[in-house]
Amino acid sequence: MTKEEIIEIIKKHLKDNLDDIDIDTVSAESSMRDYGANSLDMIEVVSATMRELKIRVPRSELADVQTIDALAAKFLEHVE
Amino acid sequence: MKPEDVLKFSLADFTYNDSDGVLNPPEDFDAWIQDPRVAMAMSFFEQPLHNSPKPRTELSGGHLGKRRPVINLTSYNYLGLSTHPEVVQAAAQALMHYGVGASGAAMLSGTFDQHVLLAQELAAFKGQDACMLFSSGYGGNLGAIQGLLQKGDVLVVDSKCHRSVVDGATLSGAKMVSFAHNDAASLDETLTRYAGKRRMVVVEGVYSMDGDVANLPALLDVCDAHDVPLYLDEAHSSLVYGETGRGLGEHFGVEDRIGVHFGTLSKAFGGVGGFVCGEASIMRYLKCYAASFQFSCALPPAIVAAMRKSLEVATRDNTLREQLWANVRHFRSNLIAMGLDIGESTSQVIPIIVGSSGEQLIELAMAAQERGLYLQPIDFPAVEAHSRRFRISVSAQLSAEDIDEASNIIEDVIARPLGLVGAA
Repeated sequence: MTKEEIIEIIKKHLKDNLDDIDIDTVSAESSMRDYGANSLDMIEVVSATMRELKIRVPRSELADVQTIDALAAKFLEHVE
Repeated sequence: MKPEDVLKFSLADFTYNDSDGVLNPPEDFDAWIQDPRVAMAMSFFEQPLHNSPKPRTELSGGHLGKRRPVINLTSYNYLGLSTHPEVVQAAAQALMHYGVGASGAAMLSGTFDQHVLLAQELAAFKGQDACMLFSSGYGGNLGAIQGLLQKGDVLVVDSKCHRSVVDGATLSGAKMVSFAHNDAASLDETLTRYAGKRRMVVVEGVYSMDGDVANLPALLDVCDAHDVPLYLDEAHSSLVYGETGRGLGEHFGVEDRIGVHFGTLSKAFGGVGGFVCGEASIMRYLKCYAASFQFSCALPPAIVAAMRKSLEVATRDNTLREQLWANVRHFRSNLIAMGLDIGESTSQVIPIIVGSSGEQLIELAMAAQERGLYLQPIDFPAVEAHSRRFRISVSAQLSAEDIDEASNIIEDVIARPLGLVGAA
């Protein structure tokens, strides 16, 4: 699996959790917060993505992650 | 899960279950929670008290696993009303008259004369038309917010609001968005973003993990500019703040600008339950749509009678509040003199912020237990990972000797290991 494929999975779950987002305009260099996601939305997106990837990344490792791209890179470290 | 990884994880990491069946916890959750280091950390929760929630009480379980005397710095019994002789007597008399439970939901057979009287007295206390009672504080926020909002609405909450507010929004179907803690500019930006929607803002009077207070005047200015009502949760500020104890709204002189007044009976009142006060029409409406009100058994009449007495005792004069604030000043000055980080706290809730190490937090908690100090560690995800802490709830019942003895223990088991004594 590539980082780009993980980004697409994150964007899919972002679309599922935010009412008014145009997913085509989402940049991986941005934060989910830039698109109106609150902390609960982000927890849901992160959890759903990990569930789909069948990985569990400690939340403590995600505390400093700022962008969707960085989140995907972190997940990629855990994908077999 | 590899043993060396175990402390990287927290309860937040298991909020979704990836096992095959819903009755099976995640496989790695079992491995995690049974690890001796995690089990040690979990031993701090649900330790049974064997006496009243007074400053000197008895506890068992925990890291030591044995019954022992402790100085209790954890209870919400801010004014000592839970054990006040007049309050206890009122409960005892009502218990003999009404029995143990209400045996019915409030809308069916669970409303007693005591419920009607307490609701009237609370409404008068808050200067509002009407009041409705809930069987718990959590259920009160859940029900009031769920009853007021619906799908398509937007609930705008301070980022440090309590879980019951969040759950109320979820249950209502409304979209919940947060603004930066106590930041009027952030609130303004958020309300602007959702202009045109039915919106309500929720803030708390005193924030339970930090002990700081809402900047009500500035936040209300923003709400008024957008013509959006503010719902104020006075769980930790009722009977504590204000000239007559009406709360933070009274403290700032802005009560008439608040749309919904929410409070709990389980903190300074010393009992259990929640209440919401406002205009009569919205209270009538809310009673018909707040599910946690309609489908919960009403509060036990004996508790309600005791809460009437708590209100009377706490408002007949300022004796208890003055004692509480004297204790807060005394304890704060001791903690600050040690160089401890108490964040932005200005209230009776005082955090001791330790930092990012969960292992260190538990080590310090164990040392406190061994010295007879009941002081709960607050770990991630209840607070952010970089600000793990202890939380002190100051009570009017603490004597000066209690505070100084507790402070000496804190100095020995927390301030010294952190290398902070006298750093301020």
